[in-house]
Amino acid sequence: MGFIWFYIRKIFTLFKCEVLVLPSRVALLVFVVALLLIPAFTQDPYLLWVLILTAIFSIFAASWDLLSGFTGQVNFGHALFFGVAAYTSGLINVYAKVPNFLSIPLAAIAGVLTGLIVGIPCLRLRGTYLALTTLAFPIILTGLIFALPEVTGGELGISGLDRLSTSRVYDYYITVVLMLVLTTIMWKITDSKTGILLHAIREDELAVRAGGINTTRYKLLAFCLSGFFAGIAGGLYAHIMRTVGPSTLEVALSFQVIIWSVFGGIVSIYGPVAGVFILFPLAEFLRILPKVRMLVFAVLVLLTLIYMPEGLIPWIRNKIEKECPRCKVRSIATRKTCRICAASLD
Amino acid sequence: MAESLLEIVGLGKRFGGLHVTNNVSFELNQHEIIGLIGPNGAGKTTLLRLIMGILKPSSGSIRFKGKNINGLKTWDIVNLGIACTFQNMRPFRRLPIIANVMVSCMCPRAMKRGEWVKRIEAKAMDALEFAGISDMALEKASTLSQGDLKRLEIARAIGTEPELLLLDEPFGGLSPLETDLMAKSIKRLHKGGRFGRLHSEGPSMIIVEHKLQQLMKIADRIVALSFGTLIADGKPDEVVRNPQVIEAYFGEGGI
Ligand SMILES: Nc1ncnc2c1ncn2[C@@H]1O[C@H](COP(=O)(O)OP(=O)(O)OP(=O)(O)O)[C@@H](O)[C@H]1O
Ligand SMILES: [Mg+2]
Repeated sequence: MGFIWFYIRKIFTLFKCEVLVLPSRVALLVFVVALLLIPAFTQDPYLLWVLILTAIFSIFAASWDLLSGFTGQVNFGHALFFGVAAYTSGLINVYAKVPNFLSIPLAAIAGVLTGLIVGIPCLRLRGTYLALTTLAFPIILTGLIFALPEVTGGELGISGLDRLSTSRVYDYYITVVLMLVLTTIMWKITDSKTGILLHAIREDELAVRAGGINTTRYKLLAFCLSGFFAGIAGGLYAHIMRTVGPSTLEVALSFQVIIWSVFGGIVSIYGPVAGVFILFPLAEFLRILPKVRMLVFAVLVLLTLIYMPEGLIPWIRNKIEKECPRCKVRSIATRKTCRICAASLD
Repeated sequence: MAESLLEIVGLGKRFGGLHVTNNVSFELNQHEIIGLIGPNGAGKTTLLRLIMGILKPSSGSIRFKGKNINGLKTWDIVNLGIACTFQNMRPFRRLPIIANVMVSCMCPRAMKRGEWVKRIEAKAMDALEFAGISDMALEKASTLSQGDLKRLEIARAIGTEPELLLLDEPFGGLSPLETDLMAKSIKRLHKGGRFGRLHSEGPSMIIVEHKLQQLMKIADRIVALSFGTLIADGKPDEVVRNPQVIEAYFGEGGI
């Protein structure tokens, strides 16, 4: 009995000292708990539907951030990964009857391969040239899809995919839990040794090479990882929508993901996720007022770019938390001294 | 005769019609410090970039420990044991200083497979300690001053545990006091030994420098370039008295 108490006390202390001290951690906790509890309060199909799509696009936006934010390989055609994965799972599910618990991983593998195929020609490019080249890939693929309507269904796409699960609530839990797990993995990647290298490649690739690092390998790795996560999002999307059309490859989707990420705050993983969770439901609910929808959207994004160039979430975070000038640990902004080293925070 | 560490034979580099490096040949022996001098635009930085594989030579060959390194990728050359610093410092500005050094500590040459982040961090810390900026380790690199950036460059270079170190103007933009400190650090590094977890075999060096006085104190040999051509190679006091070198620096008529 005694040691159970010991562990309960230990967990409670950890919770008190590590979670409750920082508003951002409390907010994250509330967010996760709220997401997991929503179906217990309301099973409104429309609300769940919007949240499912939000979760899927969160994975997608975070994968863009991994490649373009962290590694600096700005990708203007990120919908390519999404579309390829969606079509892959659509084709193999409808024609080969591969069940969805296999077709989604296969879609992710298709995303990885796409990452390789796009990454190799893009290795020598940077900046604007890279952006324009990546923009071209989904357009080329859309052309191919229209050219082969017998296989791909042309403009109408493929329909009749299996459902993700038997009920909307299950769908909701699958996507939301996957979203939480995958974004945590991405966040962990950016926090690891590899993450430091990816970050450094964005800053100055030549200097990383002079540090003896094979930057080609790491850039390709970034493309593949990003393709993998975007691929899962694409596969999930295909099974949720139960139809796959050329809209998954649209330029508009590629730009949408950039808008979400820039709004939420790039180079943070949680920023793009938050960006999707704010903007996507907003866009959905504004559908009732179609005339002002685009206007509201444009003004919002413009305002963030002007007043919070780092994005919304890092901006808020800097308002409610302060970084200790000595030990670089964050404390809540109301404190006068650092919670670890007691240095003055001003 | 012991085999020389670096052997440059007939090295040439053209940018269009401009011969920036012109049939340069010299050798660097094990455990030797060469000072590379020459007026502005003589092609010193270009020569270092050719050795590092950042630029591809138009003609000639570079051999390191008897192995031809022409056409190898920069990272392969670094992993053979050459490291360089940049004349115009190139830190990763938005990364903390410690992370700047961790990048080079993560090259296959310096890192054992699967080494933990904590250990790499400790090693990077030792490199910073050696360079004398360990107190700033957690700051962003953009907060560093000129002199400290030079130190960061050196810390990054020794993070790869090189056998040959190419320093491009390590004293550039430093005050006389800082210059002395830096010269001392370079000498200490050249002696070799262990700096915490960091191992230094006492690398050979090629130092590009305009401050001849300081350079002569630490260099064993001096190589002078002018318009990409090698004009002198020998003991420091011989080279500075060489009429061709004086002419290259001060123009026709000497001092
Ligand atoms: N990428 C390039 N394209 C064309 N010309 C170049 C290039 N890089 C260098 N040069 C030219 O090569 C010449 C030598 O340049 P380099 O930087 O090697 O000189 P340096 O000896 O290092 O001079 P400093 O003492 O000023 O650093 C210069 O005339 C420069 O204009
Ligand atoms: Mg130079």
